[in-house]
Amino acid sequence: MGWAARPWLIGIIVPVLLGVAWEVGVRFGVVPGRLMPPPSVLWHSAMEMARSGELQTHIGATLIRVFTGFGIGAAAGTLLGTLTGASRWARLLLDPTIQGIRAIPSLAWVPLFILWLGIFETSKLALVALGVFFPVYLGVLSAIQDVDRKLVEVGRVFGLSSFGIVWRIILPAIMPVWIAALRSGLGLGFMFVIAAELMGASEGLGFLLLDGQQMGRADSILVAMITFALIGKVADGVIVGISRPLLRWQDTVRARL
Amino acid sequence: MTRLAIEHLNKIYADGTEALRDVSVRADDGEILAILGGSGCGKTTLLRLIAGLDQASGGVISVGGERLAGTHPTISAVFQEPRLLPWLNVEQNIAFGGQRLSAVEQRDRTAALLERIGLAGYDKRWPKDLSGGQLQRVAIARALIGHPGILLLDEPFSALDPFTRGSLHELLLALCAELKPTVLMVTHDVDEAVFLADRIVVMRPKPGRVHETITVNLPRPRDRISPVFDTVKRRIMHAIDRSLGEQGRAGLRPVAGGLSPWW
Repeated sequence: MGWAARPWLIGIIVPVLLGVAWEVGVRFGVVPGRLMPPPSVLWHSAMEMARSGELQTHIGATLIRVFTGFGIGAAAGTLLGTLTGASRWARLLLDPTIQGIRAIPSLAWVPLFILWLGIFETSKLALVALGVFFPVYLGVLSAIQDVDRKLVEVGRVFGLSSFGIVWRIILPAIMPVWIAALRSGLGLGFMFVIAAELMGASEGLGFLLLDGQQMGRADSILVAMITFALIGKVADGVIVGISRPLLRWQDTVRARL
Repeated sequence: MTRLAIEHLNKIYADGTEALRDVSVRADDGEILAILGGSGCGKTTLLRLIAGLDQASGGVISVGGERLAGTHPTISAVFQEPRLLPWLNVEQNIAFGGQRLSAVEQRDRTAALLERIGLAGYDKRWPKDLSGGQLQRVAIARALIGHPGILLLDEPFSALDPFTRGSLHELLLALCAELKPTVLMVTHDVDEAVFLADRIVVMRPKPGRVHETITVNLPRPRDRISPVFDTVKRRIMHAIDRSLGEQGRAGLRPVAGGLSPWW
């Protein structure tokens, strides 16, 4: 009994030690508690915010933005990636433009989005969707080009149409890469939602960060950061959990772990 | 009746390599034809052209009198590697070969084939959990579920150990006796060709051409260790030797001086 049964316990040793050291440091006056509130204070602040419903409001607002933007960006990335991956003409026609747009740092779109779409939700969703789009698009495109020619030939010999080959050979074959691309897209989605909320919002975890800075409340900044980490991890875990049954066929080192 | 007729087939690849020159082969209904030759004879190219995976540069392939253009619903194949779809289980992989069958037919024939290939109870396994021989059994079942008129085999047993290979030969013959497809099998294994084929087409390399066609008049079931089997094998080997005659021998000539001591 012990580590072997719960290997994840090993992973929490370092954070727990850091937390204890932090707490002790503040208690003994070695670390300034106002700028670096210790875990006990953070817990207290988080509970306070949760009790008043404030924390839930912010989490809810951020999640809605992330998931809506993610949905739009992932769908567009998958569709366009499939199109340019499967059709040479579509690739020649569209890929250079898309790659050109990708060369623009995504945050450079912020002023234009605000000008075009206003300061409210639409511009935020557009920014998140843009951030999610590129990793998904690139992942799908390159995965399709890496599909084993031999398996595509199997589809042809057994009489599949072009659509049948995409649907029954190419899409299942790229599933592992697609899911990895969705995960990195979601990670970027969380990154861009902060940028979107920093540029002007009245609620959301990004707003909480900015508000904490302006009010000099390091505790609410840290609570927002930790909340980001937690919901990001949970959202990623949801994708992994949903995709696991779809990838059971894989014969990889990871699948055996 | 002639099931498959190949007439004056040429294939020159885009890089200028001449893979096939004026190849003509006929195969009757239910006949098992082995295409025998070393590497570079265009054996696999020939099979790919018949399967519709590549375009011929000249010549005609016709199936049942109808000129072939692209893939054909009654032509099915087993490749050198099993090429099962890794995301489908064994049952789904076999059913995949029956694209034109109804769902009910797919299910019934899959169940029957699983039994026939000795993998009943493996229906829900993933390809990753099967051995090489088992994978190739599934690939054979997938190729036969649609009751093809022509079955193409591209050295499907070459990667297997001799024990597994032998049992798959038996399985293939039994299934072919039942479903009677015309079989075109590419191989470089003389023993295999003599054991399985009704006729053997010996090809010569660079560019690939038909050298000689030999009928194997041995009764079935054939006995690999009988003297007649050996006689036929020797005849085939002579034919291969002659096929290498002009170019092959010339290529080997530098070795002729090799009688001098190595120091």
